[in-house]
Amino acid sequence: MTDNQRRILEMLAEKKISVDEAERLLTLTEQPAGSEAGTSGVAQPGEPKPRYIRVMVEPDPKAGPEADPEHVNIRVPLAIIRAGIKLRALMPSHVATKVNEALQSKGIDLDVRSVKDRDIEQLISALSDFEVDVQDGRQKVRIYVE
Amino acid sequence: MIWPPSVLRLRIHSSRRHFSLWLPLFLVWPLVLVLGLVLWPLLLIGAIVLWKWGWSKPLLLGGPAIFRLFCALRGLKVEVKEPGEQVLISFR
Repeated sequence: MTDNQRRILEMLAEKKISVDEAERLLTLTEQPAGSEAGTSGVAQPGEPKPRYIRVMVEPDPKAGPEADPEHVNIRVPLAIIRAGIKLRALMPSHVATKVNEALQSKGIDLDVRSVKDRDIEQLISALSDFEVDVQDGRQKVRIYVE
Repeated sequence: MIWPPSVLRLRIHSSRRHFSLWLPLFLVWPLVLVLGLVLWPLLLIGAIVLWKWGWSKPLLLGGPAIFRLFCALRGLKVEVKEPGEQVLISFR
């Protein structure tokens, strides 16, 4: 049972929602990720999954001779994120506690042990819409997912 | 299934240094496999010894996890160019 399903049942027990509403919400939680069209920015089934994060830094074509001549082209496979997240399973519990404390000290309230593979897939799918495009007059920076 | 990267390209060009490396990683795979098989009994003993401190699971599963991370490197490319200088790191 997922957290969402448990929360729906708690709301039903507290009589905040009716049985019909609870049933409808439970049906929605049982649908696979990405089946709610256009609600979460998650890729639709059939769409190609994003594979890489690209960071491109190029001279701004409008800057002329004053443009910074530096070129940067970085391509990071998203599979690294998946593989990195799977490393959490190897973390001894006392190490995970220390990591959680360190994250909390930075203002991030996250339990690394509770991150699920499904969450990561949703995050990666949602990245398909991610794009940063900055021009400062000398350089053009683009960060996107492909 | 993601295959491990088969080629590493490393190129550093500057006014003082020219360095270019094309490393066929697929030739290293069998060596790593043999090394893994040789080390497996030692890891097993280590895991039994460290069971009490909770380090046996990371020790046993660490190898496959690191291998998975290595496989995920396929496609990684870092290229930085300036006039007269270039750095390229590419896993294919």
